[in-house]
Amino acid sequence: MTQQYLAGELSVLLGRLELAAPDPACALAVHRLRREAETVPPAALGPVAARALSVADEACWRALERGDALAFARQAEACGELWRFGVCADLLQEGPGLG
Amino acid sequence: MEAGREVQVSEAQIAVHWKEEEYYQPPAAFIGQANAADPAIFDRFREERFPECFKEYAELLTWDRYWHTTLDTSEPPFWKWFLGGRLNASYNCVDRHLATDRNKAALIWVPEPEDEPTVVLTYQELYRRVNEFAALLRDWAGLRAGDRVTFHLPMVPELPVAMLAAARLGVIHSEVFGGFSGAACGDRIADSGSRVLVTIDAYHRNGELIDHKAKADEAVARAAELGQRVDKVLVFRRYPGRYSSETPMVEGRDFFVDEVIGEHRDRIVEPVSMPSEAPLFLMYTSGTTGRPKGAQHSTGGYLSYVAGTAKYYLDIHPEDTYWCLADIGWITGHSYIVYGPLALGTTSVIYEGVPTYPDAGRPWRIAERLGVNIFHTAPTTIRMLRKVGPEEPSKYDYRFKLMVTVGEPIEPDVWRWYYHVVGKEQAVIVDTWWQTETGGFLGATLPALQPMKPGSCGPGVLGVYPVIYDENGEVVEAGSGRAGNICIRNPWPGIMQTIWGQPERFVEIYYRKYCRDPDSKDWRDWPYFAGDGAVEAADGYFRILGRVDDVINVAGHRLGTKELESAALTVPEVAEAAAVPVVDELRGRAVEMYVSLKPGYRPSQEIEDKVRAAIETQIGKIARPKNVWIVPDMPKTRSGKIMRRVIAAISNFSDVGDVTTLANPEVVEDIRVHVQREKVERGEVPRELTPEEIEELKAFGQVE
Repeated sequence: MTQQYLAGELSVLLGRLELAAPDPACALAVHRLRREAETVPPAALGPVAARALSVADEACWRALERGDALAFARQAEACGELWRFGVCADLLQEGPGLG
Repeated sequence: MEAGREVQVSEAQIAVHWKEEEYYQPPAAFIGQANAADPAIFDRFREERFPECFKEYAELLTWDRYWHTTLDTSEPPFWKWFLGGRLNASYNCVDRHLATDRNKAALIWVPEPEDEPTVVLTYQELYRRVNEFAALLRDWAGLRAGDRVTFHLPMVPELPVAMLAAARLGVIHSEVFGGFSGAACGDRIADSGSRVLVTIDAYHRNGELIDHKAKADEAVARAAELGQRVDKVLVFRRYPGRYSSETPMVEGRDFFVDEVIGEHRDRIVEPVSMPSEAPLFLMYTSGTTGRPKGAQHSTGGYLSYVAGTAKYYLDIHPEDTYWCLADIGWITGHSYIVYGPLALGTTSVIYEGVPTYPDAGRPWRIAERLGVNIFHTAPTTIRMLRKVGPEEPSKYDYRFKLMVTVGEPIEPDVWRWYYHVVGKEQAVIVDTWWQTETGGFLGATLPALQPMKPGSCGPGVLGVYPVIYDENGEVVEAGSGRAGNICIRNPWPGIMQTIWGQPERFVEIYYRKYCRDPDSKDWRDWPYFAGDGAVEAADGYFRILGRVDDVINVAGHRLGTKELESAALTVPEVAEAAAVPVVDELRGRAVEMYVSLKPGYRPSQEIEDKVRAAIETQIGKIARPKNVWIVPDMPKTRSGKIMRRVIAAISNFSDVGDVTTLANPEVVEDIRVHVQREKVERGEVPRELTPEEIEELKAFGQVE
């Protein structure tokens, strides 16, 4: 199947997430995931998307703890976009367990 | 022999049984205008007429010199199509339409910001721009036929202009999807040996102006690390005269196109007459941390194939307005936004941004305003549009005659929304199966002559003869309900020529598995291994199951995990289900099912039996699970994805790996103790796994 575009879209969304990262450690983690998205087989994109959501989730909490509403909003938006794409691309499952 | 046949029949009867969907017939109005409405076309492309049948596609093009050999098989599997012929792809997509359609729209570009004007490039304007950019590439950048040039461009009209300019010179273009990082671009620059990179300063996506030029610096640095020097970076500007990137231009390396093109304005570049088998472009596929894999596509064979399939399967007429929502950075965009539609002289729409910006009505507003009548997109986009705006299409007054879906199997439920809501029950749907490597469609229905069936791509396309093989190379018969590896028995003009610079890898990946005789010059001995699992129904329609590593191989039967889980979920008490392979001395692999129950239900033997019965009834006895484990919860990522790799490790008594990042790591130990204790009591402890089996289980986890 011509599934390369799923890797591409995921890379774009991880790029957005990287830009919205609240600190260098988070940015580096997302950067690595982006590289992974660009190199793993399309069938292995699901775990990359899941780990990215996990990183973004953590970043949201850290922003909230610091009271940084702006950073939280940016992360949450990028995170939401990633989640919607992941579900529609069948990389993530909709339902309970969303951290 | 007879006994073997009996086994075959017996297996066929008990194996996978798809729920057959009903047929949908094309509307009479569509049939009346279709390019392929006469069933005689099947006769023209029947196997006995292979390979000469493909002359019909090649004759859609204008050749500088006619070919002497339709298919040269002297060096299998490096097929050469239309050998001896010469042509130019740019001429075929642009120049030859000037005589009759000079002022007709070739490309309509829709910027993402809705307040920015739509840009229309007539064939005359496209001709002018292609020529001056070709002059720049040749006379300023020094590129000649056979050189490579890398583009890292988003969905802007400069991209098809640049592609056609390179093609005009016989320069091999390699477009890297604009959304990819600079590092990914750098890898591809290095592999292709490009010394010129063409990029843009910025583009719009989802309401933001994205700084794109920054990636060029990363790409050039990465290519240098890998030993490839980039001499020149040509930078288009999203807004002419205004630089929209914060990244400085590098003196002596980076140049704005609008500044250096000045002396080349209005220059005409004679199209270079290229041999049919000359490479036209490289399209890299991801999926490897090693050397990238550049699918090399030819000029004559590829262009013939995309023109022919665009004519018959997209039903493109010159007067149509066709919109493919894919990105030109992928093979879909190359074949069915640029080369196929323009070779046929139609109007092709290009959209810069995301389809849901600023709202889910955007695609339908564009379709209404531009009078789009052929629409082409991927199931992921269809699911997204349905999720965020299920009623939006009904608010707009557009009318599609044909809609295409590409890239992945589409669920019948989503297919029906596409048909009823987006297509308003007036459009035919062409569900296509193909790959970057194949250049064009392999499986699809011929829209006026073959009915649609939700969830199935249809039979092999004209002149393409698919077959399903099992692991032993035996044919899996149509209607047997058994799944296997879908392969193509014959070459076709759109097939990639090789992997750029890696011919051995090309043979190894795509042909070695089912090659009958490596010394044979007969194409019949070299089936193409697509790497996708599929089932062929009795009517010859194929249902694609996904990559072959998504299935569990039980005694040669490839069982799709999704189908196993879907069957388990039909048991009313079951909330979630996961199918995993377990090493089995008798059958190679067996299926184990893990299920969790809905609130209010308690584990019982009765429920386990119901799950077994559901799988046997819906799929077959071969799929009967060795064990059904009822667990309180599944190990999941924080996004809710079930970690099948972890469960498979438990079932096989192997290492579950790092589970600390799971949303519920505590359940892993509970499940492990429960399952493994039971297995020990039953004497089901498997032998120690081989390194290959451990790798297989890890790979199984990759598709989670």
